[in-house]
Amino acid sequence: MSSSLTLAPAPSSQAAEEVRAQVREFLAAELAAGSFSTHVDTWLSGVDPAFSRKLGERGWLGMTWPREYGGHERTAMERYAVTEELLAAGAPVAAHWIADRQSGPNLLRYGTETQRKEILPRIAAGECYFVIGMSEPDSGSDLASIRTRAVRNGDGDFVVNGAKVWTSNAHHSHYAIVLVRTGPPGEGPRGKHQGLTQLLVDLSLPGITINPIRILDGGHHFNEVVFDDAVVPGDMLLGEEGAGWHQVTAELAFERSGPERFLSTYPLLAEFGRRVADSGDAAQLATLGRLSSRLLALRQLSLRIAAALDRGELPDIPAALVKDVGTTFEADVAEEVRKVVEVPVSLDSPDPLGRALAEAQLHAPGYTLRGGTNEILRGIVARGLGLR
Amino acid sequence: MASDQDLVVETVRDVLAGHEPFALTADTAWDAGLWADLADAGLTGVGLPEEAGGSGGELADAVAVVRTLASGAGAVPVAEQLLVAGPAVLAAGLDLPDPAEPLTLAVAGAVTAAPSDDGDGPGRWTLTGTATDVAWAGVARSVAVLAAAPAGIEGAVLALVDARGLATSDARNLAGEPRGSLVLAGAPASGALLTAEQAGVVRARYALARAVQLGAALEQVLAWTVQYAGERQQFGRPIGKFQSVQMQLAQMAGEVTAVSALVDAAVHVLERDEDVVLAAAAAKVRAGAAVEVVARLAHQVHGAIGFTQEYRLHHLTRRLWSWRDEAGSELTWSKVLGAGLLSRGGDELWPALTRVV
Ligand SMILES: Cc1cc2nc3c(=O)[nH]c(=O)nc-3n(C[C@H](O)[C@H](O)[C@H](O)COP(=O)(O)OP(=O)(O)OC[C@H]3O[C@@H](n4cnc5c(N)ncnc54)[C@H](O)[C@@H]3O)c2cc1C
Repeated sequence: MSSSLTLAPAPSSQAAEEVRAQVREFLAAELAAGSFSTHVDTWLSGVDPAFSRKLGERGWLGMTWPREYGGHERTAMERYAVTEELLAAGAPVAAHWIADRQSGPNLLRYGTETQRKEILPRIAAGECYFVIGMSEPDSGSDLASIRTRAVRNGDGDFVVNGAKVWTSNAHHSHYAIVLVRTGPPGEGPRGKHQGLTQLLVDLSLPGITINPIRILDGGHHFNEVVFDDAVVPGDMLLGEEGAGWHQVTAELAFERSGPERFLSTYPLLAEFGRRVADSGDAAQLATLGRLSSRLLALRQLSLRIAAALDRGELPDIPAALVKDVGTTFEADVAEEVRKVVEVPVSLDSPDPLGRALAEAQLHAPGYTLRGGTNEILRGIVARGLGLR
Repeated sequence: MASDQDLVVETVRDVLAGHEPFALTADTAWDAGLWADLADAGLTGVGLPEEAGGSGGELADAVAVVRTLASGAGAVPVAEQLLVAGPAVLAAGLDLPDPAEPLTLAVAGAVTAAPSDDGDGPGRWTLTGTATDVAWAGVARSVAVLAAAPAGIEGAVLALVDARGLATSDARNLAGEPRGSLVLAGAPASGALLTAEQAGVVRARYALARAVQLGAALEQVLAWTVQYAGERQQFGRPIGKFQSVQMQLAQMAGEVTAVSALVDAAVHVLERDEDVVLAAAAAKVRAGAAVEVVARLAHQVHGAIGFTQEYRLHHLTRRLWSWRDEAGSELTWSKVLGAGLLSRGGDELWPALTRVV
């Protein structure tokens, strides 16, 4: 097998098991107290700042970051356990999710000392939320074709014009990391990767308008973010001017392998498990077993990637592969379960299984799109196989 | 794979190099020459302790032998001998037959064992009934039969029978590997009573052994297909340059990588001597599920060339199609897995999932 796809087993981690047990206890208490109710795909839709702050208080955000930035210097394996427990419980984690998973690590790598000191501790406290400002109305898979522009004015500040779309949770968040064009593209097919820059944008600045875009279940999670001569201070440049493409691709490699890429519909599987335990139905049991074997394989892959990240490796190709196989699985959970149960499927069904099926179905088209489509990911895997 | 196993793999590869896989027929039910060379090199006793007559080494070494032979389509009963029947015979306190002679396992609930002496523990038994779907029936010199215990006794009997002289039917799986029945008409055997749990572990080891073979063969089929896509030209360039072919190969890679990770993890569970039943069940089901995608796309990418007996692809795809149904089908093991995960109640699914591997 191609060595770019083979991953060493994850070492077992006592510390991870301990924190896992603590999170389970915390979640059971929160559920009992009615502080949240379980839903499907809560890392998109479950916004609850109070819940995020509670996680921050317990040290479960910014877990792997240095202490001087409010982090807890724990391992990727410990963070993995926390992430998994929260998703499996369908807990409301959307407020802080992008900041903790993606923007924080991005700031750690590329941010200035001032940016890190000011922002990272607030993320770790569960008080500061981020969005990803990459996609545009005409630029999805072909991200380097973006048109949002930033031009320096006489004070060295960036004047930004353009529009971003599908920006999850922009209406609840404090900052966006926005990919903009600051310089002309270069020559050749990869020339458009030049002249791109990431800016750290305070979403409360004048000249920024956030317009809601509703998804299929009527929920407002997505937005259009319009920049109309928005002036972003020059010291809010993230990383290097013109190095935006490199920064963005490294960031995407990180975001692709976590358990959120196969557990979005786990709350449905959990509900199905309760049903099967009651019914003892053989076909349902077999379906549960089949889906579980897929889930177990995905966990192994994802854990191995977390361990590789702990070792300082950048397993971008296996990460793309996990996201492809994982998000396919997320949608299949709903499809397979509905084949073996008879329940009314509706968002206001009295049956929790019917509700979970409805949520999973209406969110399903998103799983294989967000963070890069499965077709694009398969292209990355094909490169790993030496085909391009 | 750990570097300890590299030497084992290299040795097996050297032996395999002199034995091209061939299409099995009624006359050539197995690769006796390959077996003889493996036995000469001590490879048919790897992972079985030296005190018992084996060649020593770890479980991981035995797995490495099985994997290498599976990816080379070696038509020999190593998986049965090294990973299932050998360890089961030893765990039951029975004498291991000479590893130079092939040993297989028959899971035979329709065969009953009656004690023919009154000793405790390993003793003498008489077996009656027909064991169906026995891998390497007619080839194996001895068979470890997992038979039903006498009426009124819980569990099963693991009995070792000499296969010479037993009536054998000549059935074969899709790859031509022997899968006939053995007629046991009062066959004498040494054997031992196993608890239901111990018998469950033997069956799980068998499933895991097939999962190991499936995993190795899936990896090889992917490697062959990637290689082929880089060589075969149409429209003036290698077919692997076409995006739709790349998508198919990437999809295959996703399946294969998922299987490898889970099978590997299940083997580690066995190595750590932990409860292997659910891990083996999961590995077998996952590996079986990958077969449909990988074999289908491999044949598609290979075009008509892969549909012929001259070309090597079928040596593995036909085995994949068979192995996924053997040692307990996906349906059987998915029910075992589902029930096992719910054994502490419907609210405990997630904690159960995080304990399996
Ligand atoms: C739930 C959700 C949340 C999201 N959140 C954010 C966010 O917070 N911030 C953000 O910036 N973006 C976000 N996105 C946008 C997401 O990143 C894009 O949807 C994605 O990159 C695909 O772009 P597109 O939708 O424009 O599809 P397109 O690029 O137009 O693609 C349409 C189809 O064509 C296929 N295709 C396109 N090009 C190729 C090619 N070269 N080869 C093969 N197939 C191709 C695609 O795979 C797809 O099937 C989110 C999307 C979803 C669904």
